[in-house]
Amino acid sequence: MELLETVWDVFLRTYPGFLEATLITLKITAVALVLGTILGLLFALMKISRSKLLQTIANLYITVIRGTPLIVQIMFLYFGITSLIVLSGFWAGAIALGIHNGAYIAEIFRGAIQGIDKGQREASSSLGMTRSQSMRRIVFPQALKRSIPPLGNQFIITLKDSSLVYIISVPELFSMANIEAAQSFQSLETYLVVGVYYLVLVMIFTYLLKLYENKLNVDK
Amino acid sequence: MLKGSNIHKSFGDLEVLKGIDLEVAPSEVVVLVGVSGSGKSTLLRCFNFLERINEGSIEVDGQVVDPKKHKLSNIRAEVGMVFQHFNLFPHMTVLENVIEAPMIVKKMKKADAIVLAKGLLDKVGLADKADVYPSKLSGGQKQRVAIARSLAMEPKVLLFDEPTSALDPELVGEVLGVMQQLAQEGMTMVVVTHEMKFAREVADRVIMLDEGRIIESADPVTFFENPSHERTKQFIQLVD
Ligand SMILES: Nc1ncnc2c1ncn2[C@@H]1O[C@H](COP(=O)(O)OP(=O)(O)OP(=O)(O)O)[C@@H](O)[C@H]1O
Ligand SMILES: [Mg+2]
Repeated sequence: MELLETVWDVFLRTYPGFLEATLITLKITAVALVLGTILGLLFALMKISRSKLLQTIANLYITVIRGTPLIVQIMFLYFGITSLIVLSGFWAGAIALGIHNGAYIAEIFRGAIQGIDKGQREASSSLGMTRSQSMRRIVFPQALKRSIPPLGNQFIITLKDSSLVYIISVPELFSMANIEAAQSFQSLETYLVVGVYYLVLVMIFTYLLKLYENKLNVDK
Repeated sequence: MLKGSNIHKSFGDLEVLKGIDLEVAPSEVVVLVGVSGSGKSTLLRCFNFLERINEGSIEVDGQVVDPKKHKLSNIRAEVGMVFQHFNLFPHMTVLENVIEAPMIVKKMKKADAIVLAKGLLDKVGLADKADVYPSKLSGGQKQRVAIARSLAMEPKVLLFDEPTSALDPELVGEVLGVMQQLAQEGMTMVVVTHEMKFAREVADRVIMLDEGRIIESADPVTFFENPSHERTKQFIQLVD
């Protein structure tokens, strides 16, 4: 009971700063996801292209990203980029998260594209559409729709992963919690509070995703 | 109209078509029969250039098609195909399914494509379903939309690969009815089907494929009453 009271105190004391930090967490997640979606689309296209070279490049990218820890990628990019150009921690972190996401999103898109019944492509071919016409008009729209639920999942993962950019001092939610914990000596309570912040965000988003999926099923 | 000469097609070591010669005259309706695995679908797919032939040649409307020289998409636009599983575009309404290819491939104006599509939907008896999505249709309705979609490209030949095999028995008639009407209007058609009644009544010629070869080719009366090949007799007994 005593713990609950101190947690409540910590919550009341921290929420102005934490809400601001939440906004940064959401922003960095959004930027990372937009960038990741663009990269994901690009690399998915390379992977399904008929060029061996493009396939190899895409495979290399996906293998390296999936085979190394995100925190290493963040540090690598942060020091890599900031040695070349002046860039804030926010943007370095967002770009790192974006590149990281690109590999996973590429696999989501590739799976969705290849999951479209091959009868769809045959029907469009038999009507005289070229490969690119049938991709653009028939396959992609269906694949995109199917990608949305897994993209939503990726969003949730990214939201949580974004806490790792604390390492390059981006003032997002987890960074703020670290600072607060160190200053107040109330580590347990502070991390509990920040955990609830993430949990609530994830639950809200999961709910929205559910609504969307239900709508998809109704449409079908 | 459509002519295959000495068509050979293999998948790896498996030779599926072993020298097919088949010429389809304008307005002719050819029904293709044969046991499962005899190569019926493969032959249709070769005529639609969905499969590359290993040997031989295919002529469409008097022109030999060379996959290396011709744009296959242009040729395919002249040879329509109706599939067993319809393959309608699920993200588009019935009308959008039908206007898509004329607009994208032939660059037809949308307003013109809609007039064309409405006429075709009317012809297959689905004028009232224009704004519905395919998932809301019965199998028979889906297949009739697929036929309208193919017709919208004004193909010279229409290929049907078991168009009624995926349908509930009570829905077969409505699709065969549309096909019969097309035949009467002079459409050139090659039809793979197990509907022997359709073969008897609508076909100008029935062809029996067996292990990748044509073993029987005759008018329906001769084909069913007096087949020359033992395998054909067995087949007819099996399906009738
Ligand atoms: N893409 C492919 N790769 C390998 N083998 C194939 C392929 N397509 C067809 N075959 C084989 O070719 C043979 C002929 O197949 P096809 O589908 O043409 O037969 P069919 O006469 O249409 O039979 P059904 O009545 O079952 O539809 C079969 O043995 C099949 O397994
Ligand atoms: Mg078949």
